[in-house]
Amino acid sequence: MVDQLPNLGREAEMLMAMGYASMDDLFSDVPVDVRMEEDLPLRPPQSEEEIIADARRLLGANVSLGSMASFIGAGLYRNHVPAAVFQLVTRGEFLTAYTPYQAEVSQGMLQAMWEFQGLISELVGLPVANLSVYDGSSAAAEAITCAVRVHGRKATQKGVVYVSELVPPDRWSVIHNYTQGGGIELRTLRHLEDGTVDPASVAEAAGACAVYVEQPNPLGLLDASLTSVKDAIGEHTAFIVGVNPVSLGLYEAPGHYGADIVVGEGQPFGSPMTAGGPIYGIFACSKAYMRQMPGRIVGRTIDEDEQTAYCLTLSTREQHIRRHRATSNLCTNETLIALMGAMHMSLLGPEGVRSLAVRNAAALHAVVQALEGVDGVEFVHPDGHHFNEIAVQLPGPAAACIEALEAHGVLPGFDLGRWSEARSNQLLVTATDQTRPEDIDRLASAMAAWCAEVVA
Amino acid sequence: MNNLWDFTGAEGAGYAQPAPLVPESDLSLATPLLRKDAPRWPRLSEPEMVRHYTNLSRRNFGIDTGFYPLGSCTMKHNPRVNEVIAQMPGICDIHPHQPEHHLQGLLSIFHEMQHMLAVCAGMDEVTLQPVAGAQGEFTAVRCIQEYFRERGEAQRTRIVVPDSAHGTNPASAAMAGFEIVEVPSTEDGRIDLEALAAVLDDTIAAMMITNPNTLGLFETDIAAAAELVHGVGGQMYYDGANFNAIIGRTSPGLMGFDAVHYNLHKTFSQPHGGGGPGSGPIGVKAHLAPFLPGPVVDVRAAEAGERTVESGRWFHWREPEHSIGKVQQWHGNAGAVVRCWAFYRRYGRDLRTMSEHAVLNANYLRHAIHREAKEAGVDHLFVDGARTDVAKHEFTLSMQPAKEALGVTAMDIAKGLLDMGYMAPTVYFPLVVPECLMIEPTETEAKDTLDQFAKDFVAVVGTDPATLHAAPVTTPVRRVDEVYAARNLCLRVPEEDL
Ligand SMILES: Cc1ncc(COP(=O)(O)O)c(C=O)c1O
Repeated sequence: MVDQLPNLGREAEMLMAMGYASMDDLFSDVPVDVRMEEDLPLRPPQSEEEIIADARRLLGANVSLGSMASFIGAGLYRNHVPAAVFQLVTRGEFLTAYTPYQAEVSQGMLQAMWEFQGLISELVGLPVANLSVYDGSSAAAEAITCAVRVHGRKATQKGVVYVSELVPPDRWSVIHNYTQGGGIELRTLRHLEDGTVDPASVAEAAGACAVYVEQPNPLGLLDASLTSVKDAIGEHTAFIVGVNPVSLGLYEAPGHYGADIVVGEGQPFGSPMTAGGPIYGIFACSKAYMRQMPGRIVGRTIDEDEQTAYCLTLSTREQHIRRHRATSNLCTNETLIALMGAMHMSLLGPEGVRSLAVRNAAALHAVVQALEGVDGVEFVHPDGHHFNEIAVQLPGPAAACIEALEAHGVLPGFDLGRWSEARSNQLLVTATDQTRPEDIDRLASAMAAWCAEVVA
Repeated sequence: MNNLWDFTGAEGAGYAQPAPLVPESDLSLATPLLRKDAPRWPRLSEPEMVRHYTNLSRRNFGIDTGFYPLGSCTMKHNPRVNEVIAQMPGICDIHPHQPEHHLQGLLSIFHEMQHMLAVCAGMDEVTLQPVAGAQGEFTAVRCIQEYFRERGEAQRTRIVVPDSAHGTNPASAAMAGFEIVEVPSTEDGRIDLEALAAVLDDTIAAMMITNPNTLGLFETDIAAAAELVHGVGGQMYYDGANFNAIIGRTSPGLMGFDAVHYNLHKTFSQPHGGGGPGSGPIGVKAHLAPFLPGPVVDVRAAEAGERTVESGRWFHWREPEHSIGKVQQWHGNAGAVVRCWAFYRRYGRDLRTMSEHAVLNANYLRHAIHREAKEAGVDHLFVDGARTDVAKHEFTLSMQPAKEALGVTAMDIAKGLLDMGYMAPTVYFPLVVPECLMIEPTETEAKDTLDQFAKDFVAVVGTDPATLHAAPVTTPVRRVDEVYAARNLCLRVPEEDL
């Protein structure tokens, strides 16, 4: 503590300059009946070295994924963030700034976020992107409320939004919390046996305020039929697509097949998993939604000397001006993590992002090949095209499989039973650019041993 | 300066990657969906990229570059060891759905933080899930909403906020579906108990308020306000943005609050990152605890064979009984929580000293500014935003007299301060103070810095209006045209520049 407070030891001098005798005088306005009289019942302060030692001990006790053969993903993806990103993002001028309210001394971050908006816009194929929201889930939720504000009046199914039944329960829950207050009714958009959207369900959604569906879907499955959704639902129903942004290095940008709003978890660009946060949510839309979108957005402008400059714009949507009529309550957001994303994307370039997507696809391909040879393991959607992850059917509970494979140093995936009881024998196996061939060998042999035991 | 699209490297420039595990020709890719045109991203080599972002950073102001008295935002120093810790694989390289026995260290840190935050605020339970203050507000208001629904009091559809409240308070309540009732403050900027009493009835779910309030004043009538709100069956919600002023001296619990959010990025120094990330845990009294988003971390006696990080204690996730569900898909901004844990460890029970120094510095600066202004003969150009003897961790000044006498606005003063090498205070907030400057030095500024700022502030106030209108002149760009930005929307790289 002593190294953090420059005025320790100068209290008396400073108090005297104000005509006060003690620190208590500065708290004389706190009524006696609400004063805290005792010391806080907390631990004593520590030095930096002691804190590091404790951090090493505690965080060192966590099993980091690099120490295992890991195949867990389900919305977060193990990636390599180039070294330059960490080096640059911890520069104090970025790290210790706040929201660029004073544009003249915040041009660096403003320009970087304007560039981020351009990178995302190009990636998803829509003209407008904001400088990010909290995460992929709140991005989905805010896209839905945005769409309802835009289409509320013309929609024939008032306040109704169709959400893909494959959206994981935790994300559903976020969406529910964000939308329930606006009188929005969430209905399920059904999928067929093969995992693609049910055209009958899509047809039902025509005239609703929005459809929300993910590409690839939460089971890693790519659905070519999404390219005809916009035609089926029509102009007055927003087509919202949640994406895994890395997949867009290889697969078509939803903005090019009719999406009105594209959202997604930005994490694979620029950020480690970090136990699920801080990460950042992508939010992009067509012009029709721009004035109803959440969050901050940077515009390019000029200064008094007509030099290029950047500033926050379209602010009249926001809470500090519009208060309870704001499009969102967003204030503090995830700018620094989005900056890491921009840095990563700028190093990849158009060919690099394709290579990265190919590496992810190739890693999954290698996993699929290895598991094909394992007796007892079947693929839930054997004919589908997958990206990053694939659901497998096991001969026993996924939870038991995960437990058993730990002895082999393998975390084989995510237990889909956590999403639905009906899937408790299913495992979501994820491969990324960080998946190593020896990890795949270990997965296959450990899985084979376990399956043999279960079947026997 | 260049933007990214000014870099025109050769095809394939940029970051070199290893070969894919399987050659691309062997992959069966989903052909109808294959991307036809690559994103038109720029091509940079690493040296170009590093220089680009380094140059951008030089056009940005942070706490590290200078004094950052941005009121309400608590721009304190960010201890660097926190960054070192946050890069450890035990936080960076873990997945939130790993089994509990993989995450005992993280769970233990979470548990310690839940406990510490509950103790400091006088609350019974804490969740770390919300990722910013505004999300914390929203989460708490949702808990209150479900609490009343459960009790058969669904008619409570209105939430009271003072007119001095931060915009996120009404925005968060409205997002949860509440109607907002705004109550005026008294002339000295505090709660108007009469005005409050007049709007209270059994349709009120809660009152949201921060204390010290957004003028930096302690709400001396807070207990009476709580009594009024509780009297009609409503809940008291504490906006913890200003918590830095009071730790160890009083608590929301003692003041009669039922729920609070904490802005960990403010009080506990998660770096603000140019706008985020933050962390916005909430704490609640026992009656609201069953509604918290899940899971929270709990502890039980360890069983034989369990590898603990604290002897005999096993940390585990627990789903609150009537949980509202989730507001973030995982466990919130865990990386920020770990940084703030490291910050907390540095102070421990001396967090009280931290708050005292925040208040000491704010009052000292306020006195110094008034004293210097008097000496320089410019004290007639501004007044306190609200009459008071002592402020808490921040204070407001109104430049209304300067505006009337000289046509100099709060924004002009702000821009003049930029020329002096400072970040400007918060301007035009709270809305109840005309031509408002809101100044929060925090506890990590040295007396010498405060003395110098007081002198420089007064020098700016005494500068001739024409110079101030033209300010800033020493910054990377001159005054930025926001109207032009709004009229000529350019939100991404234009087609013609690609
Ligand atoms: C008084 C007050 N309340 C609430 C908030 C919202 O917090 P956050 O920005 O973390 O969402 C802020 C800060 O920005 C604030 O100053």
